[in-house]
Amino acid sequence: MALVEVKDIFKNYFLNKTSLEVLKGINLKINQGEFLVISGPSGSGKTTLLNIMGCMDKPSSGEVFIDGQKTINMTSDELADVRAQKIGFVFQNFNLFPVLSVIENVEYSLLFKPWSSIEKRKKAQEALSMVGLSEFARHKPLELSGGQQQRVAIARAIVREPLFVLADEPTANLDHKTGEGIIALMKKRNQQHKTTFIFSTHDQKIIDQADRVVKIWDGEIQL
Amino acid sequence: MILKLAIRNIFRHRARSLITISTIVFGCVAIIFIGGFFEDVFLQLREGFIEAHTGHIQVYKEGFTQKGRVEPFNYLIDNSQEMISLIRQLPEVDYVTPRIQFSGLLSTGDNTVSFVGQGVDPQYEKSLSKDVGEDLRKAYKEGVKEGVTTLKIGQGLDSHDEYGVILGEGLAASIDAKVNSSVTLLTNTVDGSTNAIDTKVKGVFYTSSKSFDDIFLRMPLKTAQKLLNTESVQSLVIKLHHTDDTQEVRNTLKFLFKKRHFNFEIKTWDELAEFYTQTVGLFKKFYLIMRIIVCVVIVLSIFNTMNMSVMERISEIGTIMALGTRSKGVVLLFLYEGIGLGAIGGAMGVVLGCVVVQTISCVGIIMPPPPGANVGWLSHPMIVPRILLSTFVFSIFIGGISAFYPAYRASRLVITDALRYR
Repeated sequence: MALVEVKDIFKNYFLNKTSLEVLKGINLKINQGEFLVISGPSGSGKTTLLNIMGCMDKPSSGEVFIDGQKTINMTSDELADVRAQKIGFVFQNFNLFPVLSVIENVEYSLLFKPWSSIEKRKKAQEALSMVGLSEFARHKPLELSGGQQQRVAIARAIVREPLFVLADEPTANLDHKTGEGIIALMKKRNQQHKTTFIFSTHDQKIIDQADRVVKIWDGEIQL
Repeated sequence: MILKLAIRNIFRHRARSLITISTIVFGCVAIIFIGGFFEDVFLQLREGFIEAHTGHIQVYKEGFTQKGRVEPFNYLIDNSQEMISLIRQLPEVDYVTPRIQFSGLLSTGDNTVSFVGQGVDPQYEKSLSKDVGEDLRKAYKEGVKEGVTTLKIGQGLDSHDEYGVILGEGLAASIDAKVNSSVTLLTNTVDGSTNAIDTKVKGVFYTSSKSFDDIFLRMPLKTAQKLLNTESVQSLVIKLHHTDDTQEVRNTLKFLFKKRHFNFEIKTWDELAEFYTQTVGLFKKFYLIMRIIVCVVIVLSIFNTMNMSVMERISEIGTIMALGTRSKGVVLLFLYEGIGLGAIGGAMGVVLGCVVVQTISCVGIIMPPPPGANVGWLSHPMIVPRILLSTFVFSIFIGGISAFYPAYRASRLVITDALRYR
């Protein structure tokens, strides 16, 4: 069984009464442990597809299965639960909470886990240690560099031990060298823990590391 | 964690939060101060009426309040001593004093005016108070003991001076009576014949009620009974140690009278002091309107802060929701922030309110005579625990109410739009 499966997905947006078809019948299966890149130019629909697979958006038609579970008819609260339990997110702009410390940011991801606060703190420390930021645990995100902030975001994504991590342009706001470090970190996690990573990017460095590249052009997968 | 995030967010924009909290503090101080001021007004007015006019409880013969104005002498109490002995047994009672009230003509020889006379027991109904405000404050704390019928000139009634009377200020002025002036009282006796006695003005008094001072005089009960040719009394005025015991004593008396088959009416001070009840009602309306105005100002202030907060944090809200927080969690986050602002402002407002009220109370506020009175008074706003608690709870509640719409708005954001928002 595929970890994520999308079947015949269409997505339309309406702008000033004009319908804009962003996805046009996408079919895709992603298996456990893949390091997969969805690639394509700006406006091709890759982020929309990522959002649908991340249960943050619903398709206009078609079906989505996460770990065998059909999500298309779920309520917003049920989708929130799926995101909380099964998906990790890494964003282009890091999206850390500036008022929380680094370790609290990581801990926030465990908000919905039925663990004690001591356990949660321990898990968060381990995740920070894995991304090499243990000594910055008490710092505020804005005291860190862009690369360090993205590492915190990765720690926040993996700490909850998700089925897969969705990363939308994770290196877009980083310099070349820092970007390489971030990719290496995720690749290592993928290899060591078989964590599935799904990227939306046109960064060649990530594409080079991918097990599989799915190219999207004008809302359709290019075969 | 959501609570922690909410608390940290309160202090995210310190200047803005400080302005919002200052608005809440100012509103709370205003509510506490005005509330404390009104409580002092109520206290002074209440104790003034009780002391000068009504006592805490009055007992009449059944039917007196219905028909007593027309036929006052048909409702006299014959067994007053038995009643007084019974009432005095109650531990809450300070003293019981009989009264008889009548009307007639008062003449100095040159001038004649109508009057209403009260025959009272001089031993209990003294005219002592010189500083109304201070004595009432003391009386409130220690239990009321002294009267607030203030002597302007001369002396009070004396049980050894049978023919000495004291006149209300307006009444004395209307016939140009001075201390030691001889005045003649002319009235109808209980059996309908006419009787008159010569008395001497011992003093001139005033109370908080100008209309009372314009027509009333007081004289020893025995003299009034002699003038009216009766040994009965019209009412028994009961003074308690504490005003708060009024209802309890009323119920006890009702029970005791029923048990002994006494047909009497029992009226409490609040039923008799219509002016007090109306004034309290009016002031409470003012207070309510003021609270509503303060409430609106605070609501708008917190609402504005929370709305700006939502607008500035749209992307952050998107992240919170993407990480799996349900809509309810987002609502809670902003509600906690609003409630937090209300709680901090409320707590600071209560503390500052106490300081302000205490400081002003030490100095006192000189107040002009209220309508219908001829003496001013010194107000000492009070710190009222009930008002402090309600103000604190009120500010928390208002915080929650004000934050509700921005919180709801935040929870309705579309995650993908929110994440894209810059």
